[in-house]
Amino acid sequence: MPVTKKIGRIRDCLVAACALLISMQALAADTTSSAPAAPSSAPASAKSKAVASQVEAALAAADAAQGSAPAAPATLTTTTAPGAADTRSLDEDTQTLKKDVVDLNRDLFVLEEELLFPANTQVAVYVSMDVGEFFALDSITLKIDNKEVTNYLYTPREVDALLKGGVQRLYLGNLKVGNHELVAFFSGKGPDNRDYRRGASLKFDKSIGAKYLELKIEDRQRKMQPEFEIKDWE
Amino acid sequence: MRVLRQLSCVLLAALAGVAQAAQHDPEKLAPIRVQDLQYGDVLFHYYQQDDFEALTRLLAYQHWNQLPHHELDSQLLLGGLYLSLGLYNEAGERFTKLLTPDLPQGVRNRAWFYLGQIWYARGYLDKAIDALRQVQGHLPLQQEAQKTHLLANALLRQGHFDEAIALLRSFNGPPDWLAFAQFNMGVALVRQQKMDEADSSLTAVGTLVSTQPEMLALRDRANLALGFAYLQANEPAKARVPLERVRLNGAYSNKALLGLGWADAALGDYQAALAPWTELRNRSLLDSAVQESYLAVPYAYGKLESNSQAAEYYESALTSFAAEQKALDGAIGRIQSGKMLEELLAGDEQTHYGWFWQLRNLPDEPESRYLYAIMAGHDFQEGLKNYRDLTFLGSTLDAWSDSAQTFGDMIDTRERAYAQRLPQVDQLLASGAVDQLQHRRDDLAARLTSIETREDVAALGSPAERAHWEQIRKLEDALANAPHDDATNALRDRLRLVKGVLFYQLVDAFKARQWQEQRTLKDLDLALHEAQSRWIRVDRARRSVPTNTGEFAARLAALKTRITELQARLAGAEKSQQAYLQQIAVAELSDQKDRLDTYEVQARFALATMYDKAASGQPAPKPAPPPGAPQ
Amino acid sequence: MKSFRVWSLPQRCIAAATLTILCLTAFAQGPALLGQSAPDFALRSFSGTNVRLSEDRGDVVVITFWGSQCGVCRKQLDMLDRSFATYRSAGLHMYGVSVDDDAAHARQYVSAHPLAFAMLEDPAKEVARLYQIDNLPTTVLIDRGGIVRHVYRDFGPRDEALYLSQLRELLNE
Repeated sequence: MPVTKKIGRIRDCLVAACALLISMQALAADTTSSAPAAPSSAPASAKSKAVASQVEAALAAADAAQGSAPAAPATLTTTTAPGAADTRSLDEDTQTLKKDVVDLNRDLFVLEEELLFPANTQVAVYVSMDVGEFFALDSITLKIDNKEVTNYLYTPREVDALLKGGVQRLYLGNLKVGNHELVAFFSGKGPDNRDYRRGASLKFDKSIGAKYLELKIEDRQRKMQPEFEIKDWE
Repeated sequence: MRVLRQLSCVLLAALAGVAQAAQHDPEKLAPIRVQDLQYGDVLFHYYQQDDFEALTRLLAYQHWNQLPHHELDSQLLLGGLYLSLGLYNEAGERFTKLLTPDLPQGVRNRAWFYLGQIWYARGYLDKAIDALRQVQGHLPLQQEAQKTHLLANALLRQGHFDEAIALLRSFNGPPDWLAFAQFNMGVALVRQQKMDEADSSLTAVGTLVSTQPEMLALRDRANLALGFAYLQANEPAKARVPLERVRLNGAYSNKALLGLGWADAALGDYQAALAPWTELRNRSLLDSAVQESYLAVPYAYGKLESNSQAAEYYESALTSFAAEQKALDGAIGRIQSGKMLEELLAGDEQTHYGWFWQLRNLPDEPESRYLYAIMAGHDFQEGLKNYRDLTFLGSTLDAWSDSAQTFGDMIDTRERAYAQRLPQVDQLLASGAVDQLQHRRDDLAARLTSIETREDVAALGSPAERAHWEQIRKLEDALANAPHDDATNALRDRLRLVKGVLFYQLVDAFKARQWQEQRTLKDLDLALHEAQSRWIRVDRARRSVPTNTGEFAARLAALKTRITELQARLAGAEKSQQAYLQQIAVAELSDQKDRLDTYEVQARFALATMYDKAASGQPAPKPAPPPGAPQ
Repeated sequence: MKSFRVWSLPQRCIAAATLTILCLTAFAQGPALLGQSAPDFALRSFSGTNVRLSEDRGDVVVITFWGSQCGVCRKQLDMLDRSFATYRSAGLHMYGVSVDDDAAHARQYVSAHPLAFAMLEDPAKEVARLYQIDNLPTTVLIDRGGIVRHVYRDFGPRDEALYLSQLRELLNE
């Protein structure tokens, strides 16, 4: 097809610009990674177990021969266990080692997040609760640009942590620059055992740099009606 | 005196257990408004008792400077988390840093309190006392109670009884803590020989009503303490009362039975003493009280002049002791040779559990019986905690090790993707296409302006019009040199007409076309602007690429090395811990052996004396009381 | 690397065979979860509360997959219920995951035969897939560190003794 001349020059320019736009869009899409959205976290710490009952049983056998001593915590020069000097240095070594592992864990966590969710494309959705009466949150569903990204079930323990003021990082993902829409639904039971379902949505603009959104479950009027709001932390 | 230390440490452990529930209660922390989302995330895990996760995230968020509004809170929380994971030195450092005078008193109080806990746990009691005394005003309720107890314990252990008693008397806290306070006070009063006051305190605890196992255990201990205190003070009748309150099936019943026997014996009623002692004698020989009963029973028979029975029981004691010695030797041998460890660890690499776990699953093994005794020790508990922590840390490293593989793959993929596209991108960026487009646009805009200024209507004409116009121009030129005759003039006129018509058309359309071109220019501007923004973004991304992937790869490699190194160190540390625990175990068993030796000697002596006298026809002398009897 | 076409016949056969074996192994019914970290999940219980497996870290967890139509499952559920009553205080958590296609059936069964431990619904069969359930009843024993230690794919009268002894072992850790 013959290229239009003179008058069409402006149009030529326009067409050329559009073509450039398209190719650059493709390139931009490739240079930013879209990684799987599920953040992995280090395994949870083991709970410490009360060994009271076992210790009780052990105490029976552990008492000293001189039975007249009153069984009480009292004056006691801190007698040293066999190889006390060994205890000290072993303990110091263990502490150093533990610290090194903790530091390594931190570095791995940092690397993972920077790798999977680079700051330029990162989007994080947090959940907070500020309700007057007890509200048993059951689940939250998140959709970004009409695609379901998470459907989270809340256990009593987690709800408790939220009620105490903790803020949960519900979702971490990557989004391209531009306009997006977040839609969220939550469901739960109120103090009167009524079921609540609420939804909220927010259109937001993702520019370069991490984007933080907060799902706030609130009961500001203290009317025992939890409401839902999405805050954009610009 | 080791037992007392062990018990006091158990008390601490019990206290810690009681405080556990309150530990992650926000009452403890001053009410804070979360101003940084990331800090809220740390709290979310902290409130669920996931200390390790909370710590990892806190450190990571600090690294990214994402907690600007929670500087102090972070430091305190960090210290507390380090403490809970046994990183005393780290915790100590953090808290010490918070002791600067320009920080609020509340913060410094908490720091002193934590430091006090650390010193106490490490056995630096004087330092603990000093630190705890630095707290001015009051801490939140649970912490205040905890602080009072720590301080009282430390004072007790350092022999400052009066101060401890005064402190405990003024204590006014939650009921559980109150019971412990009374117990400690009672003990302190016993030490001060103030038996009446001690009695009221210990009896209060000794008669408390509860269903909680910790409380019931405390009750038994109070009764036991009071009972033995009276025995020491030569008041056997008073001793019987609390001793009889001790539960028969509790951990303290053995000692209580022994004490009851002694009370009866002290009152001269050896027949009555036989009842608890015989009951005791039927129990496991592991217990020192039971061992003592093996001598106490024949002693009683001796006192009752049943010499043949006494002799029988002494003989029986000797046999039992000998058998027990053999068993102990066997156990020590097995532990020392490491055979036990080998067998247990064989094929069990996956589960990261140490030998002592396994031992409790082998009821047939002789040495497993003793482990219950060994495990009560504070050092063992500490060592055990360390071992558990190490194995847990090891498992996190293993998990990371697996992930590291995945990361490596991801980085590789990304590198390859970049390698493919970078040449394209570079070419594009080097071409300066956007700038060129901008130039062209500017040119066009300038041309349009000039057309408008000159009102060059022809410039905006359609191709056909421009073609005509050109033709007309050419004809004009041609006619310019032609002669001025009628025919040529007629042509000129016609040409003028045609030109006029065309001109008229062009003028007519000019405005509309002008407007059209302006609009097109505007659209072009928008598109260009869009293109320019994208250009900037791609440029930025491109510039960060080499540092990104190269840097990631380097970091990952470094981290992988650290993982491997730490895994090796962990394995070494685990072995050291095991060896240490082994040492404790052997020491405990050796102690048991020594104790048995003593009893054995006593029994032999008593027996020999009896036989001697019998042989020489003299009445058997009063047998010597076994080692444990009150004088 | 040579292209496939250039390989000799024997080479191609070996490659094909290896590929087949790999495929078969991938589909093999074996407790591939043994010794691995138990996959985490969160499910709703029939009574309304939600349960997340990772919250029980530090305790011993027994998960049993059952269907309301499977007769053997019922016997096993009763047996497990008894063990739960006994060992609950030692730090035992127990969950029954229903793999019924018809949730209503499962619900009916649960109301008709109340048990002491929580029954969870897995409508999308996600967890059943995670745990590679191919036979009912299947019971999984998870230790305090979150590792799968035993998997029982059939239930017979002999199995009770074995289960109890293995359970006690795990509880003693």
